[in-house]
Amino acid sequence: MSENKNLNSVAALFDTPNKIINAAKKVKEAGYTKFDVNTPYPVHGMDKAMGLGQSKIGYVTLFFGFAGAIFIFLFMGWTMAINYPYIVGGKPLFPFQAFIPITFEVTVLCGSIATVVGMLAVFFNLPFLNHPIHDSNYIKEVSIDKFGVVIEAQDPIFERDKVTEFLKSLGGEKIEYINEPEKEEFKILQPKFILFLVVVAALTSFGTFITLNKLMYVVPFNWMDNQRKSNPQSETNFFYDGYAMRTPVVGTVAKEFMPYPYQGQAQPEVPLANPTLPTEQLLKMGQEKFLTFCSPCHGNYAQGVSRLKGQFPPGPTLHSAKIIGYSDGMIYNIITNGQNAMPSYAYQIPREQRWAIIDYIRVLQRAQNPNPSDFQAIKELNKESGKNAVN
Amino acid sequence: MNIDYTKELALVEGNPRLADIDEIITRPLTQPPTRKYYIALSISSTALLIGAYSLWLTLYYGIGMWGNNIPVGWAFDITNFVFWIGIGHAGTLISAILFLLRQRWRTGIARFAEGMTIFAVMTAGIFPVIHTGRPWLAGYLIPYPNQHLLWPNFVSPLLWDVFAVSTYFTVSLMFWYMGLIPDFAILRDQTVNKIKKTIYSFFSLGWRHSNRHWRHYEKTYMIMAGLATPLVLSVHTIVSFDFAVSLIPGWHTTIFPPYFVAGAIYSGFAMVMTVLILVRKVFDMENIITLNHLERMAKVMLLTGSLVAYSYLMEFFIAWYSQIPAEQYDFWARVVGPYRWAWYFMISCNALIPQLIWFKKIRRSVTVLFIISICANIGMWFERFVIIVQSLSRDYLPSSWHMFTPTLVDFGVLTGSFGLFFTLVLLFAKTMPVISIVETKSVLEGAQPTVHGGSDHE
Amino acid sequence: MPSTEVGYVRRELPEKLKTIGLSLFAVGTGLGIIGFLINPERTSLSYLVTFMFLVSIGIGSLFLVALEYAVGADWSTPFRRISEFLAAVIPFLLILVIPLLLNMRNIFPWTHKSIVNSSELLKGKTAYLNIPFFIIRSLGIFIIWWVFYYFIIRNSRKQDSSKDQLLTKKNVNISSGFIPVFGLSITAIAFDWMMSLEPNWFSTIFGVYYFSGTVWCALAALTLIVILLNERGYLHRKIDSEHYYTLGLLMFAFTVFWAYIAFSQYLLIWYADLPDETIWFMHRWIGPWKIVSLAIVFTHFIFPFFYLLSYKVKMQAKKLKFIAIWILCAHLLDLYWLVMPGMPSNGYQYYFSWTDLVFPIAGVGLLILIFKYLSQKYNLLPIGDPKLQRGLDFHL
Repeated sequence: MSENKNLNSVAALFDTPNKIINAAKKVKEAGYTKFDVNTPYPVHGMDKAMGLGQSKIGYVTLFFGFAGAIFIFLFMGWTMAINYPYIVGGKPLFPFQAFIPITFEVTVLCGSIATVVGMLAVFFNLPFLNHPIHDSNYIKEVSIDKFGVVIEAQDPIFERDKVTEFLKSLGGEKIEYINEPEKEEFKILQPKFILFLVVVAALTSFGTFITLNKLMYVVPFNWMDNQRKSNPQSETNFFYDGYAMRTPVVGTVAKEFMPYPYQGQAQPEVPLANPTLPTEQLLKMGQEKFLTFCSPCHGNYAQGVSRLKGQFPPGPTLHSAKIIGYSDGMIYNIITNGQNAMPSYAYQIPREQRWAIIDYIRVLQRAQNPNPSDFQAIKELNKESGKNAVN
Repeated sequence: MNIDYTKELALVEGNPRLADIDEIITRPLTQPPTRKYYIALSISSTALLIGAYSLWLTLYYGIGMWGNNIPVGWAFDITNFVFWIGIGHAGTLISAILFLLRQRWRTGIARFAEGMTIFAVMTAGIFPVIHTGRPWLAGYLIPYPNQHLLWPNFVSPLLWDVFAVSTYFTVSLMFWYMGLIPDFAILRDQTVNKIKKTIYSFFSLGWRHSNRHWRHYEKTYMIMAGLATPLVLSVHTIVSFDFAVSLIPGWHTTIFPPYFVAGAIYSGFAMVMTVLILVRKVFDMENIITLNHLERMAKVMLLTGSLVAYSYLMEFFIAWYSQIPAEQYDFWARVVGPYRWAWYFMISCNALIPQLIWFKKIRRSVTVLFIISICANIGMWFERFVIIVQSLSRDYLPSSWHMFTPTLVDFGVLTGSFGLFFTLVLLFAKTMPVISIVETKSVLEGAQPTVHGGSDHE
Repeated sequence: MPSTEVGYVRRELPEKLKTIGLSLFAVGTGLGIIGFLINPERTSLSYLVTFMFLVSIGIGSLFLVALEYAVGADWSTPFRRISEFLAAVIPFLLILVIPLLLNMRNIFPWTHKSIVNSSELLKGKTAYLNIPFFIIRSLGIFIIWWVFYYFIIRNSRKQDSSKDQLLTKKNVNISSGFIPVFGLSITAIAFDWMMSLEPNWFSTIFGVYYFSGTVWCALAALTLIVILLNERGYLHRKIDSEHYYTLGLLMFAFTVFWAYIAFSQYLLIWYADLPDETIWFMHRWIGPWKIVSLAIVFTHFIFPFFYLLSYKVKMQAKKLKFIAIWILCAHLLDLYWLVMPGMPSNGYQYYFSWTDLVFPIAGVGLLILIFKYLSQKYNLLPIGDPKLQRGLDFHL
């Protein structure tokens, strides 16, 4: 027999589990390191015979399992308590009890995926379809009921004839020389292959398009989209004038409409009296509405400093003697009807809010021109709270 | 018959050789399907088509097609979900818990039961999705940074369900596939058909029965069993949380988690029993799935059935003991109320009929076991029906009490779920080895060495 | 020295065990009696905790014996006798229960007419919670346990000489019958002796909760004694780390099972937040009880879980001995936590008493005495059991 350069390994078959255990022990004792035992099912005690220790794969499970657990626990806490704080069922923002079930599930999920994928892909280096041992008679017999030993040519003390004799002396049958598979050349960029890819791509896109857009396209609940009605501002042949939108009957009054009877009167301020009490709550509302609607032109403190930078005529200061002298009814009339460049705010600001704004304006005016008694009041407040209320 | 306690019962009968095992188990894969198989397949796929049509009606017109109405907002949909998830539990119990308990008789039935787990979970998974009414929005259940800047509500048990069921499906699938790899390698090495060989090579990933692999493989199997065991408990526990964290009378009771798990295992074993009795007959596997297997499965059914009966007893006792009128009324209404027929089904099929298994003659009679297993399936479906529909229809306010009447579409979807499950089971039985070849070989007599690898340590 | 075919050589346990047991028992009982004389209200609760602990050990061990027969396990056969010896507490329960029955008014609030009449809930429960029915239930259950104990143990001992396989078959039947009886009776015991301490509170899972604790505790006691005896060569040289591993695995499994049951009960009550139910946890979350509750989580679950997680720990005798003692203490603490915080419903505040420490000493003494006495009369290995050889040859 001539030496074969492509020799990968020498394999021998054994009949019974006892024989293979002995053979594995002897091979190990003879000093071979690159050998393997192939059995149709795991044989008890083989790890010890081959001198293999405990599998360390448990650490993979442990690491990924706990990593997953910690991650998901913190993640749930972050979403529920920090990113979008959200109280559910009267529970605290961080109800860790309720996170335990999902934490457990994710622990198991991460641990098991890492273990199985890690075992197959990293520990075993699978898939490995072109291993030389495949398609040999040896593996076919092992698949059914034989037990085999292979000693690889890579082993430092490998000598073909010696190994053959050795395996025979152990009682091995059907010694087989397993060769490296011949290198196959795969030309990726063959014209045929490219053509094949193009055809597949075309067929797939066409098929997907047809399937999704024509065959499978169903609008669920489409009766909500296609109702038998006419939309406003559209045409209809139901009415003689062709308009879908109808004008209200003459004399119709909108719900909750309250007429403003002082429109255009010479002195509307006379009958108009402020019906509100300047409570703290009301003043807060007045401040809010003032800042929203009035301050762009009149300024945040009603001092006439417009924020509109000349895009619109600036409003006058409200601290002038003339305006301080206005009655509440007069200001109300101005807000309601507008004056000079100022438009009517009747539609933006409801009635109570207009009065609240007026109360707030009075507060601003008083703050600009305080009475001596006001200082006294502030001093007393400071004493009570212990702070400097002026600042 | 007297048992010899000094020896373990033989797990495989007829003393076959290793090579015979291959032949017996792969026979359904190599022979063309028989007429019986086609008849079975046509029945199951007809049921599947009925289900598909009912589902289409549901999706097109909305869940108004079902009988659900307030206050009975959950009815057939959730009943079916809990029923099918429960069926799945037997598979993991057999493959994981019995593995950890070193019950080696599991080898004959593990693969099939695992397969049934996966199909049952697939069937079950349909229901929570369709019962939302707008299944195309189910993607929002996944916590990803979406355009609404919203996260799912992690405090809701319904979201726990999403995690539990999807984890359960993934882990079961991996467990099942891991067991199949060496078997695919065996099929790959034995087949002469080129197409089959390509398929088997692909799925076997180039497995070569190496002992350097086996040692990690066995450890991983152990770890997976260790992870799957608490997982299987957690899944039905979380399903029970769906009910038990609420305040509906009859739902809020602390025994629900173990009670649901026991019930799930009971119904799962019943389904495995039903299907395996048919499979061993049709495929001539009486030597591998022996009468001893069936007897042991019957004993597990007896145990879990009795646990379920214990839970019924506890519920009734504590409902009385708590002295809360709503609870007391709800349980009383189960016995004498409008749904009492469902309760009678549930009690007789789950608590009383399994007690027959105490008798050895009944345990060893295949026909009677078959009937008992069918009863158990019916009983467990009604148990969920009683819990869900009865409790919802009779809650705190008598003015809002309302009966539930199922529609034809409800029954269609239920039929379809059976159709889907059995179609998948039938296809599985013809395409993959339904019994683990490797594991069966390893438990044959004389398969393990009498000498040990270690030099001095025993 | 008589030697048997499995290679078991019988040796007597050292005599000094008798002295130790007797002195522990005498000291504990003596101080206990003083406690009963000085302060019967508080002492009877201390006594109840230890009594429940002995119930756990006794009935838990009998359950392990019955389980082995019923499922046909073989790995645990070599040390089934140890569990049988521990189960010998059961006949004593009938005597041990007497001080509690005499002190029922000091323990259970529902025995007081004034308390019952002030509550509609309690009035409704009198059909179940009344003194005569309670006594009949408890004594009846202890007697039923005794009957099962008597038959199972008698058959097992007979087999030592007769080696008759039929006895195993008989025991399989008795044990299968025992398991449902056990399930119902242990639930009744848990409801009666611990849940009814706070009679307004109820939980359907409570029986399962106590069950998980009993089995856990019985396993730990078994593991501890097996390792202690085997290290000194009283058992069999073939009982080795692989047997230990399986014991460790079971302890681990029951650690997780207990946590599962305890968490289920807690989560459901926490989530629903009904005052009827949360009050029980509130009693265990006020003042120093907060620390005890957290300690239960740590000692009963977190520590044993992480300790027993490793493959190697379960193989090592020394580490298993440590965790077995830990588990016994944790179970005792759990019982203490179940019993003591209920005191306010009896009308007075909790305070620590030296009697809490006295009764466990007496209990341990009693266990040692029983064990020593039985070991003089019977073999430590069931040498006639047909499954013994298989059990000794057990490999993972």
